[in-house]
Amino acid sequence: MMQDLVIRGIYIAYAIGMLMTFGLILTWVERKQAAVMSDRIGANRAYLRIPFTQIKLVWWGLFHGLADGMKMLLKEDFRPVSYDRVAYALGPWVVFSPVLLVFAVIPFGGTLVPAVLFDGSPAIVEWFGDRSYPMQIASLDAGLLVVFAFSGITVIGSMLAGWSSNNKFSMLGAIRSASQMISYEVVMGLTVIGLILIYGSVDLGSIVEQQSGVLLGFLPAWGIFYQPFAAILFMTAAQAENRRIPFDLPEAESELIAGYFTEYSAMKMGLFMFAEFIEIAIIAALFTTLFLGGYNLPFMSDAGFTLPGGHFIALSHGTVVLTQLLVFLVKVFLLCSFQILVRWSLPRFRYDQLLRFAWKFLLPLALANLVVTVVAVWAIRGAGA
Amino acid sequence: MMEQVLLWFFALAALAGGVLMLVLRHPMRVALALISTMLSLAGIYAMLGVHVIAVFQVLIYVGAVMVFMVYAIMLLDVRDPSFTRRYSAYLLPGLAGLAVLAFAFVHAIRGSLPAVEAPAAGGNFNVQQFSVAFLNDYWLYFELTSVLLLAAVVAAIAILKARRGNNG
Repeated sequence: MMQDLVIRGIYIAYAIGMLMTFGLILTWVERKQAAVMSDRIGANRAYLRIPFTQIKLVWWGLFHGLADGMKMLLKEDFRPVSYDRVAYALGPWVVFSPVLLVFAVIPFGGTLVPAVLFDGSPAIVEWFGDRSYPMQIASLDAGLLVVFAFSGITVIGSMLAGWSSNNKFSMLGAIRSASQMISYEVVMGLTVIGLILIYGSVDLGSIVEQQSGVLLGFLPAWGIFYQPFAAILFMTAAQAENRRIPFDLPEAESELIAGYFTEYSAMKMGLFMFAEFIEIAIIAALFTTLFLGGYNLPFMSDAGFTLPGGHFIALSHGTVVLTQLLVFLVKVFLLCSFQILVRWSLPRFRYDQLLRFAWKFLLPLALANLVVTVVAVWAIRGAGA
Repeated sequence: MMEQVLLWFFALAALAGGVLMLVLRHPMRVALALISTMLSLAGIYAMLGVHVIAVFQVLIYVGAVMVFMVYAIMLLDVRDPSFTRRYSAYLLPGLAGLAVLAFAFVHAIRGSLPAVEAPAAGGNFNVQQFSVAFLNDYWLYFELTSVLLLAAVVAAIAILKARRGNNG
């Protein structure tokens, strides 16, 4: 019992720490990558000076995130005269907390056996016995459903924020945000159903484990090779859910100032921004889990590598755990970077185009993909049975 | 111990949300109270080991129903006098109906309460069991409910259309 609590506590601390770090670093990555893409030098103004010396630590402008955080914490917390102070205060939190909660069901590593990992110390071995823990905060068999349940709550937060601000721009932003998120949630759900059919499970841990096999003799059995089309649709819909360019109509600055968080200042505004950046990482983590084999390298499972030829390379438990944690972080980071690439490449939609894109383009494609998947699964399983 | 504390917390939160929902006048606050009740109920379901039901509670009631309610309330005119008037003209009939309903409930529950408490269902109710039960035993009720909802939607549109026709 106590052991479970300790391990879960460590997992939760790791997850929150990881997401916060990603949120902070991505603010810098966004600027630096934009600079690299447009051939500028970019974020390099903020630095730390070691006291009493002239040594300035610039570190490629990494301290910009720190400066941002300080600025948000120290600014005046301006409160508008609003309809509803409770809703105004609640808004940012209702946007921010579900984003963190979603990560609870995403596996960031395989199975951890503490007794094997720390076999040098008899006390730990004895304390843990033969307990093993999947590296996932809550290994629920309804995993994927939990993701959708929590991400649905975010909509309410942005509506509360926009409505209670007593500002026409905020209101318009809230309406746009709600319509957009509801529309793209449908697409996102439909693209994933194909994967659920193939894996026969909504448990994210089991979905990852099934991806360590071999497909057609040489490909890793990743979701993206089963459902390449769904992967593209999912990425598109997920970015629209996150309301970033080219889908940032709810906060389009040339039309709505800042949309539903126009009236927010200081750290409350910071929470909206932070939620957006953390959601980039969450989308990357989800995409990794569903389509890119999760925390595993190609052909890798908890025991070691099973190469296409049938060769088996066994790995020690410590190596496996470390590799999995690291591989997950690297995959998530690369996908975050990809999302920022999209953000700096494409211009913004017009609002009618945005909704038409969801309902008249993405939705039929997602349905078509689902139909093809259903027929294929039925044909293959039917032939086997 | 831990479960007791959580159970009390969620039960009280659900009750508080329910009471607030009845007492508050502003539609948005009522919606927020209802959301907190739904979330607390989901918490209780999850503690009973039926994660699937808890997830669907959040997914459907909070993620879909309440989102649309909040959306509609957002577009309401908040200066409407009906938000500030405390009681409607149907106060007395409403109270009488409540008394009758409460009496009926108490009577029904007293009559059918089992002598020994049934053991909790346990934590084995997973998605698979849910889907099998849902698609084998309950699909007809589910479809009937959706027909009912469709009828409600059509009725709402019919009422709106009729009013618009009268106005212009």
